[in-house]
Amino acid sequence: MNITLLLYGLLNVLFVLFASPLFISLIKKVKAYAQKRKGPPLLQTYYNLAKLMKKETIYSENASWIMRITPLVNIAALLVASLFVPLIVIPQPTDLVGNVILFLYLLALAKFFMALSGLDAGSTFGGMGSSREMAISALIEPVIIVVFAALAFAFKTINIPDMFREALTSNVLVNPVLILISTSIFIVIIVESSRVPVDNPETHLELTMIHEAMILEQSGKNLAMMELSNAMKQLLLMGILINILFPWGLTTEFTATSILISVGAFLIKAVIVAVIIGLFESSCAKSRLFRLPGLFGLALFLSIVTLIIEVFA
Amino acid sequence: MPSLQFSFLIDRLSAFFILLVSVVSVAVAIYSVHYVEHGTHDGRKNLIVSFMNIFIASMVLVIASSTMFSFLFFWEIMALSSFLLVMTDFEKKETGKAGMFYFVMTQLSTVFLLFAFLFIYNATGTFDIQQIRASPLVTSVAFVFLFVGFGIKAGIIPFHKWLPYAHPASPSNISALMSGVMIKVAVYGLVRFVLLMPMELWWGILILVAGTVSAILGVIYALKEHDIKRLLAYHSIENIGIILIGFGLYVIFALSGLQAVATLALIGALFHTLNHAIFKSLLFMTSGSLVNATETRNIEDMGGLIKRMPYTALLFLVGAVSISALPPFNGFVSELMIFQAFFQSAFLGNPALEMLLIASLAVFALTSALAAACFVKAFGITFLALPRSEEAKKAKESPKLMLIGPAILASLCVALGVFSFQIFGILGFSFPIPNMLLIGSLLTGLFVFAWLGLRTTAMKKERIAETWGCGITSQNSKMEYTASGFSEPIVTILKSIFRTQKKSERTYFDNEKVIFKSGKAEIHLMKFFEERLYLPVANFVRKVSLIVNNLQRGDVDLHVAYAFATIVVFLLIIWWFA
Repeated sequence: MNITLLLYGLLNVLFVLFASPLFISLIKKVKAYAQKRKGPPLLQTYYNLAKLMKKETIYSENASWIMRITPLVNIAALLVASLFVPLIVIPQPTDLVGNVILFLYLLALAKFFMALSGLDAGSTFGGMGSSREMAISALIEPVIIVVFAALAFAFKTINIPDMFREALTSNVLVNPVLILISTSIFIVIIVESSRVPVDNPETHLELTMIHEAMILEQSGKNLAMMELSNAMKQLLLMGILINILFPWGLTTEFTATSILISVGAFLIKAVIVAVIIGLFESSCAKSRLFRLPGLFGLALFLSIVTLIIEVFA
Repeated sequence: MPSLQFSFLIDRLSAFFILLVSVVSVAVAIYSVHYVEHGTHDGRKNLIVSFMNIFIASMVLVIASSTMFSFLFFWEIMALSSFLLVMTDFEKKETGKAGMFYFVMTQLSTVFLLFAFLFIYNATGTFDIQQIRASPLVTSVAFVFLFVGFGIKAGIIPFHKWLPYAHPASPSNISALMSGVMIKVAVYGLVRFVLLMPMELWWGILILVAGTVSAILGVIYALKEHDIKRLLAYHSIENIGIILIGFGLYVIFALSGLQAVATLALIGALFHTLNHAIFKSLLFMTSGSLVNATETRNIEDMGGLIKRMPYTALLFLVGAVSISALPPFNGFVSELMIFQAFFQSAFLGNPALEMLLIASLAVFALTSALAAACFVKAFGITFLALPRSEEAKKAKESPKLMLIGPAILASLCVALGVFSFQIFGILGFSFPIPNMLLIGSLLTGLFVFAWLGLRTTAMKKERIAETWGCGITSQNSKMEYTASGFSEPIVTILKSIFRTQKKSERTYFDNEKVIFKSGKAEIHLMKFFEERLYLPVANFVRKVSLIVNNLQRGDVDLHVAYAFATIVVFLLIIWWFA
């Protein structure tokens, strides 16, 4: 554990923590423009979080300590997970952080407790959300693992920072494998950040909702933690897509200029991805829950085709 | 008979399994002190305790055996003592059926092992386990027999059916031992004999495919179960599948010359064996406490127990997090090792084999995620929200020793996960696995940091209020999500595997079918293996025995006629050949 690694960790975690809410409101803005509305200001998610921190926390009389620890488990798991995906600086090769399977299971840990807290208050909505969320996340899991196996095949490593370094140094965009795989990763982002057509982040009281139903009983500072960790998860997954497909600007050096260039480059790329997500969401309707396996099947098919190309190439 | 002797040898593999048996047995023994008091018959309590000790001793001796004769001898003692333990509540009809099922299956397992051992003896002339040197044909045939024999005991699909019957029927401390330890003895047998024989690639493929099928079907069947102990029994099938996946990967990688990956897979499989023994016994013991407290095994009648049995809830949660393979607990580390071995399959150099491994990897990922879904259901419906029955409302926390036993295993779940990297280092393995001590401390540190941060910066005011329910005036447990409701999306999506049949009938007041009068709906899930595999075999055997029965009427004249006919046939044969 040397000093640059520590510095990398602090920088990356703080960047994820402070930049992630921006993209939640940016996507909302894009969707609003697509519907000819003005939409909320770009900093609205920050205002919301600040407001929630000032509100009282209400617990259901049926709820137990699971409800109280879930927001903390979520934020802790996501903070650790943000060490695994370098967004600005790629650290020196290390075995301490970056294992892709551990990254995925840290997200699963957060989700496990979130689903439990959905059942905790004894409300029908919460249970419905947990049940659907666990079903969907179970079905998308093979896609995620096969996608990352394909990446591990392509880059010959299971360490996320090493994948990025490889992507940075070798010319990859001509490689059809990565274009195929980025389609699968895009579907994974849509599913994991609860967006249309899988889930609708706008509604709170419809029977179509999944993620929002699960956290319906959370309030005040706890809800702030849940929203923040959801935003962080979205940014981390976007970061994986960006840094594998367009790693330009990413740096391996700890100098002020290279970090500034890298931050700027990443923000531009992330804004482009967020706009694409917003337009994608605006262009399709929420699909029925039992139609979703078709979408997942498509993603699985694409990632397996990727692997077949890699195996036989 | 000089070769029919008892002799024992303890090497690193058997020492590891003896450690596994002993650790779990100690915890179960502590738990049992108070658990057996729940029974009513004094004599029966004494019998349980004495058979339990015979059972544990026989398992240790099976593992320590160095001849096939003593292996089989103690194997049979293990089978019989566990059968008697399953039959503890023999008055119940359900127990009788379960016991019969278990007895037939376990004897079938012994028969297959006996065939295998005699076959090896015939070729080598010795029962010594360490001296299996025979031609590939002999070892291959022996492998198939051993695989079926151990597979029945371990509960590999399609030989798994005894598990979901025997576990709910037997007392919970016995389920903990059988599911936690006894099926691991079968894993030991398989690993031991395969490692001693010259392996072939198709063995690895067979083990991998059987493991994958058991893992996915095990967890899929577990999802629809509402009987807590039967749910856990299906998870045992799933985890045996995961262990076999790891072991199958070992065989495949070892024969492809990738020794480092092969070692990772083998140690991963063995580590998962230990981990499963620990968290499954933990879960069986805590669910035994639940059954004692609520007088039911149906999780639909539980609920709200986290407030009534807080320590049991915490212990069950540790087990649930471990079995769902979430970091930083032990179940995660062993599954991570198997995942990492899978990720190396690009280096096999055999495209067909690589595609098989990729397919298996996708199924394995699905298994792992479904297990998490299933334990959200098991923990959430059992412990959270409001109690769903009067019994659950009156439930009381278990006595101290019924908490200490599981607590030992729960702390092992945490310790083996967090210190996994250091433990492998001490044992002399250096795997490229993440240091969970770092991750564990980071998680705890950031948890505390976030808690302190919220305490100092955020609004402190808290209020206890009613659950929001769209304006209903009072909430009751009927409004909670049920276990069947929880698993419904998955059951519907996977309906081709469950062979779900939904039937609904409706009657109406009017001819236009507008005003609804009454209706009936049912969901029927097919017991595929029982209806399509076990019953046809059983029916065939019954038909044959009816025919044989007709031949044997107990009539002396008829038997004399049979004897006469046989002699005539033999004379004709001799005459023909002479």
